[in-house]
Amino acid sequence: MARSFIPCVLPAALAFAGVLGAQTAPPAAPSKPAPKHDLTGVWMARNPPAIRAFAGATFTKEEPEMTPWALAKYKEAKSSNGGQYTLDTTNDPVVTKCDPPGVPRVYFHPYPFEFVSTPTYMLMLYEYDHMVRRIYTDGRPIPEDPDLTWMGSSVGHWDGDTTFVVDTVGFNDKTWLDRLGHPHSTQLHVTERFRRIDMDHMQLDFILQDPKALVKPWTATFYYELRPKWELGEISCSGDYLDFKKFEK
Amino acid sequence: MTRMKKRWLGVGSLVITALAMPLLAHHGAAAFDVTKMVTVKGTVTDFQYVNPHVQVYFDAKNDKGEPEAWQGELTAPNKLSRAGWSKRTLKPGDMITVTGNPAQNGAHTLWIRKLIGPDGESLQLFED
Repeated sequence: MARSFIPCVLPAALAFAGVLGAQTAPPAAPSKPAPKHDLTGVWMARNPPAIRAFAGATFTKEEPEMTPWALAKYKEAKSSNGGQYTLDTTNDPVVTKCDPPGVPRVYFHPYPFEFVSTPTYMLMLYEYDHMVRRIYTDGRPIPEDPDLTWMGSSVGHWDGDTTFVVDTVGFNDKTWLDRLGHPHSTQLHVTERFRRIDMDHMQLDFILQDPKALVKPWTATFYYELRPKWELGEISCSGDYLDFKKFEK
Repeated sequence: MTRMKKRWLGVGSLVITALAMPLLAHHGAAAFDVTKMVTVKGTVTDFQYVNPHVQVYFDAKNDKGEPEAWQGELTAPNKLSRAGWSKRTLKPGDMITVTGNPAQNGAHTLWIRKLIGPDGESLQLFED
């Protein structure tokens, strides 16, 4: 019994329940104008109803155009999407091994993230499992041959007053792109365009490029809201305390 | 299974399929029967405000008046904290009424959807 509980993902379900009420709510009213070159604060996903059916698990309703290499790997993936799976029926490495999710898989956790700005880099703090990305803004180029890491090597710059563009390369190939198991190689190049629409709203455009896995770039847009009163807490993937034995028959 | 159905009826079950179905989008709740909701009233024996999921343990009585140990699962403590909870929100001895999805295998385990606390108020289970 205990093994069929999913320590890492059940909060997703409950979070999803939490936004249920909002699904029928009217769109949020525009807030004050976006400040210039400032994303500081805590942000939480708030996607429009039209994409919520899939946006908790993947980027687009349609399948991305994959290479034969990626298609073969994708066939091996046992999705951690949907309600009816257990640790025995998925091979999502985040769920089964508590592997770091990587980017962009990290966006498929139902927890907020925070931007912290410094003069030479932007920090992205993801509440899920204390994931951190350090996005250099000191003008250095995208690294050409970086060591391979879970969260990649990132550089960022402002495009106009309100759009922060982040390029990330240097990923290992152990992570998935999403919860469905779309694979990537070490050639993955993730571009994120964080466009602050107004004070409280942000649009995040993804451009995923990987010549080994994707025939053409996979693009998608998610939406986020500022949560001025929230503080990031702790949510750890590990949680081996669940012991339901005494409640079983 | 028939026996279980009777058990659920004994503790006051209601089937709310419509409520549960939209929740299936991206989680692993295979352990729970999200097509059913049951309500159990009991006394808190332990309250674990821990990652990744907050756990509520409580004693109830079945329809024969026999004691039963139950366990309920909430969301992550970081989310509950943003909904106003802390590790002191529940304590042993508190009377609570818990409504949630029962375990598929009949274990006395609930995925909690509603919890009426010791002061009779329904506690907020989700961050805003």
